[in-house]
Amino acid sequence: MIVSRREEWLGRTLLVLLMLVTVLPFVSLFVTALHQPGTYPSGLSWPATPHWSNFADAFKAAHMGKLLWSSVIIVIGVVPISMLISTLAGFALGHLRPPGGRAVFIGFVLGLTLPFEGIIIPLYYQMRDFGLLNTRWAIILPLIGLYMPFAVFWMRAHFINMPEDISEAARIDGANTWQLFWRIHVPLSMPALSALAILLFLWTWNQFLLAVVLVSDPAQRTMAGALGAFQGQWGTDIPLLCAGSLLILTPTLIIFLVFQRRFVAALLQGSLKG
Amino acid sequence: MSRPRFAQRTTFTATVLLGSVLTLAACSSPGGTAPTSKSASTSSSSFAGGAPSCGTAPVALSTYIETGFPVPKDLSDEFTKQYPNVTFNIREDQFAVITQNAPRVLVDDPPDLMRLPQVSELAKDGLLLNLDPYAKAFGWDKWPASQLEQMRVNSSGGRGDGSLYAMGLNFSMTGVFYNKELAAKFGMTSAPTTLAELDADLKKAKEAGLTPAAQFNGGATGGLAFPLQGLMAAYGDASAINSWIYQKPGATIDTATNTQAAEHLKSWIDAGYFASDINSIDYATMMSRFIDGKSVFIFNGDWESGNLDTKMAGNVGFFLMPPATAGGKFGAMSAPLTYGISAKAKHPDCAAFFLNWVATNDKARTIDVQVGGSHPMGPADAFMPSIDASTVTAQTLAAGAQIGADNGAMDFIANATGAIYAKSWTPNLQKMDAGQLDAKGLLSAVQGDYQSEIGG
Amino acid sequence: MHKRSTVIQGRREEDAVARFTTESRRRALSARRLRRGGLALALVAPAALAYVVFVIRPIVMTVQYSFYEWNGVTPSTWVGLANYVELFHNPELSGSIVHAFELIIFFSFVPVALGLFTANAIRGFATSRLAVVSRTVLFLPQIIPLVAAGIMWSWQMSTDGLVNQVLRLLGLGRVGRAWLGDFNTALPAVGVIGAWVLFGLCMLLLLAGMTKIDPALYEAARVDGAGPFREFFAITLPSLRQEIVVCLTVTVIAALASFDIVYIATQGGPGNSTLVPGLEIYYLAFFQREVGMASALAVALMVLVLAVVVPLQLINREGKS
Repeated sequence: MIVSRREEWLGRTLLVLLMLVTVLPFVSLFVTALHQPGTYPSGLSWPATPHWSNFADAFKAAHMGKLLWSSVIIVIGVVPISMLISTLAGFALGHLRPPGGRAVFIGFVLGLTLPFEGIIIPLYYQMRDFGLLNTRWAIILPLIGLYMPFAVFWMRAHFINMPEDISEAARIDGANTWQLFWRIHVPLSMPALSALAILLFLWTWNQFLLAVVLVSDPAQRTMAGALGAFQGQWGTDIPLLCAGSLLILTPTLIIFLVFQRRFVAALLQGSLKG
Repeated sequence: MSRPRFAQRTTFTATVLLGSVLTLAACSSPGGTAPTSKSASTSSSSFAGGAPSCGTAPVALSTYIETGFPVPKDLSDEFTKQYPNVTFNIREDQFAVITQNAPRVLVDDPPDLMRLPQVSELAKDGLLLNLDPYAKAFGWDKWPASQLEQMRVNSSGGRGDGSLYAMGLNFSMTGVFYNKELAAKFGMTSAPTTLAELDADLKKAKEAGLTPAAQFNGGATGGLAFPLQGLMAAYGDASAINSWIYQKPGATIDTATNTQAAEHLKSWIDAGYFASDINSIDYATMMSRFIDGKSVFIFNGDWESGNLDTKMAGNVGFFLMPPATAGGKFGAMSAPLTYGISAKAKHPDCAAFFLNWVATNDKARTIDVQVGGSHPMGPADAFMPSIDASTVTAQTLAAGAQIGADNGAMDFIANATGAIYAKSWTPNLQKMDAGQLDAKGLLSAVQGDYQSEIGG
Repeated sequence: MHKRSTVIQGRREEDAVARFTTESRRRALSARRLRRGGLALALVAPAALAYVVFVIRPIVMTVQYSFYEWNGVTPSTWVGLANYVELFHNPELSGSIVHAFELIIFFSFVPVALGLFTANAIRGFATSRLAVVSRTVLFLPQIIPLVAAGIMWSWQMSTDGLVNQVLRLLGLGRVGRAWLGDFNTALPAVGVIGAWVLFGLCMLLLLAGMTKIDPALYEAARVDGAGPFREFFAITLPSLRQEIVVCLTVTVIAALASFDIVYIATQGGPGNSTLVPGLEIYYLAFFQREVGMASALAVALMVLVLAVVVPLQLINREGKS
């Protein structure tokens, strides 16, 4: 595509400007975190004496180790199970295509646009009745259910696009459905599965509403929920709040930077297909 | 050929539907029919051999306190020193968050002790422990009645009399703190004695290019309620305001003298005596600005006296909101620092013992005064630590005596109902500061919200 | 003679065999389908169970609660449609819905418009190092929790924050204020936070869509003498229909269901100027303990989201055909 030099130069400047606007808040967070606790630094200003100890203090005050561990447990609880049952369902609906499957699929699709606030109230009383309030299960179980519309949709879309001949060849070789699923289709679904895993991981890690309403102990919440609790407790001490926020952001940032291409592809695909 | 397929499809969808219906089976009206224990939960423990105690076995008391105030933590540390078998699991949150979480936390994750600014609705719903047995056992009912009055809730949910549902770690006094250095700059050398004098001082401060008052008013806590209540007491009668707070039938906040008070506050807003961004600053920001010398006056309470004596030693003064006419009576918000014990608490006896210890132990009372700056609860003749007369703590304690003499102690107008502060006073005060509401509008809006809340 | 009858017999036998085979094949096929149907049912069951227990049942319960007045602790009282009537009459509640729609302007229209503009401006060098790096950088806001974005921006939009500092540098110091504390600017300020979070996603989606457009179309247009504007509106925009609809859908849902950002940044204030349905549901249910009213608002929110998203999807469907 032929683009004039001026157009390209304008485009590059625009891009750099947008990247700046995107990154400045992070920089500001970092710089503010170095100020003396209890002060209100003005804007972006490097402190006279950087208080690197703020990060250590925030780490201890927030019990970062426990928070990280809690989020990891929740992710381990949510993502594998969700992926398993949604892949089974997607396989059934997309590949086996039973009669009445379309109705079931539409049932799932109806839940795609559901705002979590729509059901948070009964979820609270439901969890209370189960005796699961203030435990990680209060976040894990509803999330598995809430992810089903998208996950089933996603995996079904993948299986629908799988050509029939692979399965036919396998069946002729004598494979039953179970073997067909595990030996043939699952390995072939790796790209779709890994994209789904990334999406579910991100959504779980950043889940806030469920954590805030159903779990009061920050050590049983997701990272985002714990950040909310941290703000609740230390929100009046800006430098400490900034330090704590940065620490809580760091794991996701690191994982993102390592797997960036996969992340971006997954999120783009996820939005398109959803 | 179509029949089997049709049959298959119907069985398939029918099974799914049946499964759904079965899970929806428990569709009775929410809340069930069996009422939860609404009756005052009397403590079942018969106190073995006298007053309840913490025993000798290791006990971990869970407490939920307000962040940014060292008094409860210092008291906890001292208590553990004196009773090593008791340790504390402390959870902290900002004031607005605590009030928001209170109804849920008391049921789902009940702490032994919880900071609760407003207890009447929580008591009515049976979420708090009735403390009458402890009051009897420890002899709290022999203390001056006014100390416990605000924490009593009767059987119909009204306040001021009835069973005791909370206890204070101390009781506070509110008024006006001022920066002596800045005040000297415009010639204010002594505290104003009438409202007119205060007006003049505020005017002079503004003309001198200073920020007269950077009062907090942002987020979910509208700090303009402090000067408003002070002005209400300056113009009117403290007991009328208490009646409204205690939800006495027929009480209203929308009275002639209160309207005068609100209009006076509006005149201060219109004259620019408050900083231009008060709708966005929170309590901590206000304290930071005052300590840094960026605000001449703040309307606050003596819980900061200890802190101010450390950070602004010798530079801070205190005075009660002066009456509207010379020689009039003084009134001020003076409320206990209320803590409740959850009805489901695991160690209620130990929690009650701690509360008693705070009021009766000499070391604890010293911490209350020196760190908390407030007057401890307890018998009128109890031990009081000696205070340096030049500190602002001495001034706030002396003000307490004045209020006692004039019978002018009031609870906080923000405590009239559980949600009146966050959902009514705060947004309406913010609107008034932004010029969207006038004095009459403010009071009628709040009265309207009050009535719909207590109406049910 | 024998041969002929054998042939005829043979054919008759063949027919019989053929008929028999088709019959049994059909039967076998439908038997297999029955088994498959049963197996498929078993495979869908876990996902369906999780969905029904934690999504469908709660939706039904929300609707049920909305017809009662309940404080969550003591028994409830039936009030029929009273909560819904209150929704319309109470300015605080109806106002929250209005605010959600106002947020759509910032959460949706701005990222889509700016995304279109930017993607168009950079598609010429979409493979350069700068563009590849930008992909990662512009995605950062999507990775962090919304709470973190709220915390970052609350601090920056305060009186002494970065935004006012920049304004002062540009000589616009007079315009500066506490953006999240001012009645007039609080909601737009919240909108800006949302736009910051969602812009990167939209731009990258649109850029990905743009790179799929056949360059031959542009060449033909250039030959016809079309300028950049004609190119954009006649070729680029129509080809991006699906991506634009996706952007709009995702961002509109984010705006209508917003909770995290408002909870952290303004708590609905000042006054009630940034109150949104998500936050109000939380306050009503768990703080003011009016569960029925909160449920009515929750039902209204669910319906609203559907009412906006379904037409969008239909537009998309139309476009495809």
